[in-house]
Amino acid sequence: MSWPAETIARANDIIARYPERRSAVMPLLYMAMREEGRLTDEGMRLVAGLTGLTPAQVQSVASFYVMYKTESQGKYLVSVCSSISCFLLGADEVLHAVEEAAGLPAGEADDEIGIEHAECIGACGGAPACLVNYELVEGVTAAKAKEMIEWLRNAKPEVINADELQTLFGGRRSFDWAIKEDNGAIGPYPAFPPFGTAAHNTPALEPGRLATRNSRPATPEVGAS
Amino acid sequence: MNQTRVLFKRMTDHPADSHTIDRYLETGGYEQARVALGRTRDELVELVKTSGLIGRGGAGFSAGMKWSFLAPARPAYLVVNGDESEPGTFKDRQLLERDPHQMVEGMIIAAVANEVHEAFVYIRGEYPKPARRVQQAVADAYERGFLGRDVMGTGYHLDITVHLGAGAYICGEETALLNSLEGRRGEPRLKPPFFPAAKGLYMLPTIVNNVETISNLPHIVERGIEWYRGLGHDVDTGTFLFSVSGHVKKPGNYELPHGITWRQLIYDVAGGIRDDNELKAWVPGGASAPWFVPSEHLDLEITKSVTDSSGSMLGSGAVIVMDETTDMVAAAERLVRFFAEESCGQCTPCREGTTWLDMILRRMLDGGGRAVDLDLLYDVSDNISVGVGWPPKQTTICPLGPSAVSAVKSLLEYFRPEAEAHIVRANRVPVTIKGFGQ
Amino acid sequence: MSDMVTINVDGEDRRVPAGETLIQACLDTGSYVPHFCYHPRMEPVGMCRQCMVEVETPRGTMLVPSCTMSVNDGMVVHTKSETVMKVQEGMLEFLLINHPLDCPVCDRGGECPLQDQTMACGPGESRFVEEKRHYEKPIPISDLVFLDRERCILCARCVRFSDEISGDPLIEFMDRGANNQIQTFPDEPFSSYFSGNTVQICPVGALTAAPYRFRARPWDLQKAASTCTHCTTGCDISVDSSQNQVLRFNGVDNDFTSHGWLSDKCRFGFEFLGSAERVTTPLIRGDGGEHRIASWSEALDLVAGRLSAIIERDGGGAVAALGGARGTNEDAYALSKFMRTSVGSNHVDAQMDDGLEPQFLAAVAGRGRINDLESAKTILLWGPDLKEENGTLYLRVRRAAQTLGARLIVVHPRRTGLDDRAAFKFTYRPGAGAETLRMLAAGEGEFAAAREALNEGPVVALVGRTGYTEDPRLAEAVAAFARDLPDSSLLVLARRSNVFGALDMGLAPTLLPGRVSADDESGRALLASVWGELPDAVGRRAKGILQGVRDGAIKALLLMGADPVRDVPEGALASAALSEAEFIVAVDLFVTDSSALADVILPAAAFTEKDGSVTNLEGRVQKVNQVVAPPGQARADWSILDDLARRLGKPLGFGSVEIVAKEMAAAAPAYAGIEWDHLETEAGVVVPTGDARQPLHYVPVAGWPPGGGEGSIAEGGGSGATAFALHYARTLYDDGVLMRNGLSLHKLAPGGFAAITSGDAGRLGVAEGDMVTVNEVPLPLRIDDSLLDGVVYVPFNQPGIAPVGDSLEVWVLPFTQAEGINVSPPLGGSAGGHEGSDGEGGS
Repeated sequence: MSWPAETIARANDIIARYPERRSAVMPLLYMAMREEGRLTDEGMRLVAGLTGLTPAQVQSVASFYVMYKTESQGKYLVSVCSSISCFLLGADEVLHAVEEAAGLPAGEADDEIGIEHAECIGACGGAPACLVNYELVEGVTAAKAKEMIEWLRNAKPEVINADELQTLFGGRRSFDWAIKEDNGAIGPYPAFPPFGTAAHNTPALEPGRLATRNSRPATPEVGAS
Repeated sequence: MNQTRVLFKRMTDHPADSHTIDRYLETGGYEQARVALGRTRDELVELVKTSGLIGRGGAGFSAGMKWSFLAPARPAYLVVNGDESEPGTFKDRQLLERDPHQMVEGMIIAAVANEVHEAFVYIRGEYPKPARRVQQAVADAYERGFLGRDVMGTGYHLDITVHLGAGAYICGEETALLNSLEGRRGEPRLKPPFFPAAKGLYMLPTIVNNVETISNLPHIVERGIEWYRGLGHDVDTGTFLFSVSGHVKKPGNYELPHGITWRQLIYDVAGGIRDDNELKAWVPGGASAPWFVPSEHLDLEITKSVTDSSGSMLGSGAVIVMDETTDMVAAAERLVRFFAEESCGQCTPCREGTTWLDMILRRMLDGGGRAVDLDLLYDVSDNISVGVGWPPKQTTICPLGPSAVSAVKSLLEYFRPEAEAHIVRANRVPVTIKGFGQ
Repeated sequence: MSDMVTINVDGEDRRVPAGETLIQACLDTGSYVPHFCYHPRMEPVGMCRQCMVEVETPRGTMLVPSCTMSVNDGMVVHTKSETVMKVQEGMLEFLLINHPLDCPVCDRGGECPLQDQTMACGPGESRFVEEKRHYEKPIPISDLVFLDRERCILCARCVRFSDEISGDPLIEFMDRGANNQIQTFPDEPFSSYFSGNTVQICPVGALTAAPYRFRARPWDLQKAASTCTHCTTGCDISVDSSQNQVLRFNGVDNDFTSHGWLSDKCRFGFEFLGSAERVTTPLIRGDGGEHRIASWSEALDLVAGRLSAIIERDGGGAVAALGGARGTNEDAYALSKFMRTSVGSNHVDAQMDDGLEPQFLAAVAGRGRINDLESAKTILLWGPDLKEENGTLYLRVRRAAQTLGARLIVVHPRRTGLDDRAAFKFTYRPGAGAETLRMLAAGEGEFAAAREALNEGPVVALVGRTGYTEDPRLAEAVAAFARDLPDSSLLVLARRSNVFGALDMGLAPTLLPGRVSADDESGRALLASVWGELPDAVGRRAKGILQGVRDGAIKALLLMGADPVRDVPEGALASAALSEAEFIVAVDLFVTDSSALADVILPAAAFTEKDGSVTNLEGRVQKVNQVVAPPGQARADWSILDDLARRLGKPLGFGSVEIVAKEMAAAAPAYAGIEWDHLETEAGVVVPTGDARQPLHYVPVAGWPPGGGEGSIAEGGGSGATAFALHYARTLYDDGVLMRNGLSLHKLAPGGFAAITSGDAGRLGVAEGDMVTVNEVPLPLRIDDSLLDGVVYVPFNQPGIAPVGDSLEVWVLPFTQAEGINVSPPLGGSAGGHEGSDGEGGS
């Protein structure tokens, strides 16, 4: 397997942002998830090749962070916050409702939906809250959460847009969101245009930023022999 | 009680477009960056030092002092810590989403002050929307010539890169964040010797400042030390962003001066307890902080020194309010579980100790509590944080392990009878005997 | 050296070196501080928190990990306070809550730091009543290492070793928090050449070595100090045995050689000792070519009789000896004396036509020490890939470049294990070495910055042959260049563990024992006073000996642990010679391709089965010790030769190995005054020492090559038959006889292949994995773009692969094209021919 030339070019743009190639591991891991829907061994090998690390080093980094998923999360990863503020306002009931509606226990996924409990997602003022593909919906209830799962199953939205989620299923917010946004997530990874992971992507490099730099060389291929 | 809106002013006045460069410029934006470009490092460091600006990341250290410690080696880096993950905290998210240029301008000022030409904003992975807003702001700043090879025609070179985390609370710890930014596991480094100001990103001198800290800079440059100090209370200068959550009527982020009381914050600002219930306890400074209880702490002034001397901390400014309905063992378990799940696992006491604490608490909740468990909780805590005091005398590499102890310590200190009742209740759960019906 | 400071530990003042870590200062001055992650050869990480102590500071007593703290003058430390004891006990309880108590079936049980420190500092019982972590128990993470994640206490020693020390980060922490675990990447085993070190430094039984698993209980092991004899570095080892069986090698730390590390070949390469294939009795070849068992007296009588007859008929010069570089100095000395006095021949060579000028190796002027690397500013490495041929020296150079900040310049025909740490790497085509050296010396073009770096001393130059096709004079020319660099010292690299000892004992035609030139009259006179009359005739080196045997000038051949058929690059010459020889006697451990042709095979005692000394590349003489009895009737070389000499009527007078050693110290000037007692220290003794002097100081010759190039190779790129420059070099694991007779390592040999660049592959119309022929030997193709175009790399001596010869210029052809086409060797000479090899046709 390899990545399309466009993705490789984007990866190289990302690498060029950092003084050392290794720093690009995290963005590149997201790009690997974007390519295959999850992080595969092959994806990690490719990232290793691009960043000058061994695949074991890449896996070591990837497995440290909970957002790099090696198992498929379906098309929509629903993360229900279970930390203290959400817990105080009924997060466990929300998670239970989500599990029931999806027919899946937390930590599992089918072809469409993955369910997990998340630790604090920074929506404590709008507790309880969830993320769908890391797009936020605040002030959910068990009933709304159930509706949301049904909606995901039936409407099968191509793009997860937080404003839409919030309008349909949300309640109290941490603060006034005020600003409408039409961008959103296209898969179970964060929607960030430079990585090519958002619905409406932009070129990786900011206008006026130099595309090349004297990136310190990565450690060349290390291996057994 | 009225808020004092400085950082939140633009987004309050212009809710629909406070994040755009046009609105930012229209409200005087980037003028302070231009001012800073005309100043020396010494002048800017002195300005920030004298302003009394305290880092808003939780450690409560003077931002100007931090800058003054920057080692002479170059290149130096600036890293803005937008890995807001402390349970109860959501203020940076609002700053990033609603007024990203305010932070970008602050970064230019901090960069000039610290002779930095390459800066990073590390935003937690669960914040793609704030990251998109910041990315757009950075791109717009490049386009307008506020960033890049020739900042505002001064010849100053500054690049900003937005870096997305991937789900690890510990990356909010500055050295873990630097490891993460280097493409490593987000494990905290040893201090000593790896103080970022001397050996930071790529082992080079690095300034790590929180989003809120940086967002204060344009205002300090614009309006000066006197004004800034005047906003605050004694040594706690400027405004302070409180994230209030839990069982209050009006949770939210509030920009306030220091020096009001907890009673004012909880009852006046945040509207009091839901359903007019009794207040049972609150976490005054993020999940890591030992709890406060109404009988002892409600009328304390909210200042760094009073909070510290009362055995807790203001930390990230997250206030989590719990009412009378709260099962304190369950609340403690939920807090401990957070730290156990977020422990990087590097050092023994945090990896094993936080997990063990959570196992004991969960067993108590599940009805398996034993009489010895409370003492065991205390002693396990003692092996993570010797003496179970505050500030912690930690056996760990970083403060994460002791943060888990805060909840256990508070539970045992203020709610021991409730915890004991859990055990008594647990032991009364009847054993189902076959043949005796339901 | 360093300044000393005073610290107070538990009320007692101690003088310790300034800047030392607190834990080391405590350990060195008698206060034991328990620890797991701390290792004195690795950067402290402060992870296990076991070594917490209290230090008094102006802000009160602080609890600190003693491994991350440096001492300073006046520091007051408490290692036994109530708080410290409580914390240490607490840490042990934490470590034990998830540790399975399967000590009875654990290899580490009985020598386990976790057990021992729990006994000393830990809790008597656990208060943990929850479920322990569970993982699949032990999983193989390489052919040599098993991992038990339940036992692991996550100290990261293995991870840090692989990343920091050996530079192959293949074993890493995976996951996070309580789920933290050590793992390798799927399908990427922990195939480090140094993996065994992680087993040795694992503080629990999480990492175990396949060759040792379940073989012994530690309390049943007898431990003996010795010196490793796998390469010329001469690392300290501890040999563990039980019931007359060698079971394990461990590295022993010293400041001089390997810092306690071993390569896996050193560590696990002892398995041949217990091989059922060992020759355990004398063997005599019958008329049918089959060997039969014989008694020592029958065999020795036969050998003495045949040799006497030949000597009487054709003179001592009709007898030659090859080998001796794998034994002890005492063995080599005995062989040297045997050949010179009992036989009367100067035809002796410890090298197999694959080495360097003997005087250059034995007595180069400006010879350095391995420890010169510690202070080197610039290191020039122009020789074999150290990772393949001198594993622990590779680690020392790596450390110098990575941790100590030396600038490393690597010059080699292909990628080497140190390229990633090299400030400069120059790749050249075999045959173009002289021109490369000229350009480097002149600082021309791309060499300018490297040349500049070489002006900054101290410079350490590590010099040797990069491969078999390289003219041996190149290394000497590099040495001549390096000699003039500022504050330079020279380490010359050569194959076979005790080649330096063998040459020091005079196992070369141009050398006499003790670094004396064979034509040094006063040296000859001194030696004659001990040995009696010395032969005058000029001796031949290995190739000359083999040619002499083939052509009939030399009738009898004595092979002392030598396998010329396999080991001489021009294997065909060796085969031809051995089939022509009138009489061959082989003193060997195994029946090899060469000893199979011997008339008599005499069973030799191996390393660990005999006492003696060995000499490393620095000239460091160290002791090797007998740990087990030799199998069957096997005997030490010196003793066999002593018997034989007596039968020839010219006794050596060696009643015991101590007598050999004493005479050696008297007859070999550079070894004067050396007694075994001196060698029992960790560092041995670098000779000459004390009043001893070394008569020969060989100044490397810079005048080569006359008039430039070593001969040129036609540029590649033509169609069909294309001449390539051959790079033919060793790999750590190969088909050598000791490897072949060890279960664990032989299967790790990379196997035969021919590597060329992708460009050349395109031009030849072949792809990775296709079969090609190199000098008619079929090999699978590998793409290696670290080579230059027009270069083919073939690893030496791989299982089942015929040798490709040592000619510089070779043909590389797609296999189908080669089939049925009779392509004659390009240079026409004997070098490329392989009549009788099984290479052709890919049967």
